[in-house]
Amino acid sequence: MTEVKTSPAAAPAAAGPSAGTGTRRAARVKEAATGWLFVLPFAVLLIAFLLLPMAYAFKISLYRSTLIEGEVFAWFDNYKQAIDDPLVREGVVRVLIFGLLQTPVMIGLALVAALLIDAATSRFSRFFRLAAFVPYAVPVVIGTLMWGFLYSDSVGPFAWTGIDFTSTGTVLASLGNIVTWQWAGYNMIVLYAALQGLPRETYESARIDGASEVQIALRIKTPMISSALVLATLFTIMGTLQFFTEPLILQPLNPGAITTHYTPNIYAYQQAFSFQQYNYSAAISFLLGAVVFVGSYIFLFATRKRSALQ
Amino acid sequence: MAAVAATALALTGCSSGGDDKPAEKPTGTVTVKVWAWYPEFKAVVDQFNATHTDVKIEWTNAGTGQDQYTKLQTALKAGKGAPDVVMLELQEIPTFALTKHLVDLGKYGANDVKGDYAGWAWSQVSSGDQVYAIPVDAGPMAMMYRDDIFKKYNLTVPTTWDEYKAQAEKLKAASGGKSFMTDFGANDGGFMTGLFWQAGAKPYAYDIANPSSIGVNVNSAEAKKVFEYWEGMVNNGLADTTAFHTTDFYNGLGSEKYATYLAAGWGPGYIQANAGGAAGKWKVAPLPQWTAGANAQGDWGGSSFAVTDQAQYPDIAAKVAIEIFGAKNTEAWKIGIDKAFLFPTVTPVLESDAFTGKTYDFFGGQKVNEVFVPAYSAIGELDWSPFNSYNFNQLTTNLGQAIEKKTSWTAALDTAQENIKTYATQQGFKVQ
Repeated sequence: MTEVKTSPAAAPAAAGPSAGTGTRRAARVKEAATGWLFVLPFAVLLIAFLLLPMAYAFKISLYRSTLIEGEVFAWFDNYKQAIDDPLVREGVVRVLIFGLLQTPVMIGLALVAALLIDAATSRFSRFFRLAAFVPYAVPVVIGTLMWGFLYSDSVGPFAWTGIDFTSTGTVLASLGNIVTWQWAGYNMIVLYAALQGLPRETYESARIDGASEVQIALRIKTPMISSALVLATLFTIMGTLQFFTEPLILQPLNPGAITTHYTPNIYAYQQAFSFQQYNYSAAISFLLGAVVFVGSYIFLFATRKRSALQ
Repeated sequence: MAAVAATALALTGCSSGGDDKPAEKPTGTVTVKVWAWYPEFKAVVDQFNATHTDVKIEWTNAGTGQDQYTKLQTALKAGKGAPDVVMLELQEIPTFALTKHLVDLGKYGANDVKGDYAGWAWSQVSSGDQVYAIPVDAGPMAMMYRDDIFKKYNLTVPTTWDEYKAQAEKLKAASGGKSFMTDFGANDGGFMTGLFWQAGAKPYAYDIANPSSIGVNVNSAEAKKVFEYWEGMVNNGLADTTAFHTTDFYNGLGSEKYATYLAAGWGPGYIQANAGGAAGKWKVAPLPQWTAGANAQGDWGGSSFAVTDQAQYPDIAAKVAIEIFGAKNTEAWKIGIDKAFLFPTVTPVLESDAFTGKTYDFFGGQKVNEVFVPAYSAIGELDWSPFNSYNFNQLTTNLGQAIEKKTSWTAALDTAQENIKTYATQQGFKVQ
């Protein structure tokens, strides 16, 4: 499930004194109508492409249909089955491990890169900024296919290492590498933009106080962009829990290592489109959506002091 | 995610009229939408359209195998967006027949052409007078081997699996481990089933006429014999386990990594397209036998044309399915055979001199159909289950993990058997 964060349709009509004459009330109504008109395009899209499909998915997740016996209402049986399903659990544990390892590495890389190009002001930094961002511009499917070739043990440039990049032991790291390659540049740009918004005078006073560039980077710049860091990390966590495209594309290379229950999302997809278990798939998807929501919330709660999102 | 995708597809899927209204007599040229992934199919479509004025084929390549079935399942579930005529592999027919999404072609004259097909092939697509699809090509298995490697290391062409193993050991020693006898890709359930088929295993007992009852015998003694043999080959470094249909696999076929390829009748077409470098070096010999002198054969893949319940004019769609690669359509078969390496199931084409006597440059001028045609004729009957995707997935996942974790292959079969039985029970089947 794609989580879209929506601030409660920012009601522009709330301002202004409440009591009023007829004309003032009319003006307020008009103002409110204008506000709703602005929100309307978004609301229509939200309802058509998120809320309605979600409601439909929830509805079918309460049914159970079998090839022979047709469809019956089953209350929360599918959810019970999903919670008890060891394959679902295996996938959840895998994405959690993946997220715990990959997120800090990628955010760390992005931060280091952002600090470096913020410190440098040469033409080289502009080139570096663009180069680091390019992978993000490559569609995920293409990027993954490309890495599939790079990992190849017959035509890949790393074949000489003798490492099998798609074996059970290495494939999670190989996938992590792809995700980092794809997203580190994007996160770097987010952090770099935040750095650009900081007042330069602070650095001057720090330098006068005798702070080195490293100290400025770690003790001044980094804490000051903590809300951007939190945001980047939050998006990464959400993306990780929905891990799907990269393992699905690499699956043909070694289906023994990347199984059809590799991540909860892949499992749900397989259930629906390969095994005709649409109801079960909907239940898994809904549970996953709940986990993403709760996971994001916990993270935001834990970092609320730094996130400026109290 | 899944539900969102399904809804999005339903919203954007193009309609070809899926209502249950009786087909009215159409006026003018009728367009029939066809999904197929054969190489070189465009030429066949052009030929068909050039020779028909009342009907025109609109062809889409919606992906190969599971990719296409995923789209098809979605469109069928959504009630719109499916083609009129669709290419289905033989093992998929019960799946789509059970959910009643296939038109009974028996009503539209399909039984008139029954005599054009081998018994086992027709039984794969029909149940009594009900015909769910028209078979097009089959995948009789044979052993493709690299003549140059065999000559280089003085190997003899094996006729039994014992000899095959002995030659593999010789090859390993002579090449210093550089060449494998073959590759055993664990990612293709059809390949494994083909080998089981040859060994006489019957994983399922199923008849669409009695749809709620199924026999599951995936871990039979015959299947275990096959897996034990190949587990030994892999563990002794005689066979590689690179996944089929990948760059590394085709690269291995093009280089000297693999000395043989246990291929199906359609295999050469795909090799030529993906590993053409070794053209002229390959030859074909019959599949090695479990008992010396026997003639047991298996099938790997093969396809058919079925008509979906979304066809606006099922009679016209049926006509397309029957005619496009029918016995009389020699022009289409010329393209199918010469360019796409299709192995015809239709007997008049199969037995024609043009097919049996054809020499293939790719095989150094060998008349390979002298191997494939007798193999085809010796294939026994086999039932598929109505949830083949799940079964193939069980085979590939469990074997794949056994190879990765170096655990027993036969235990993987036992696991698959248990899971498939559970799945079948959950789906409401009476499992025997």
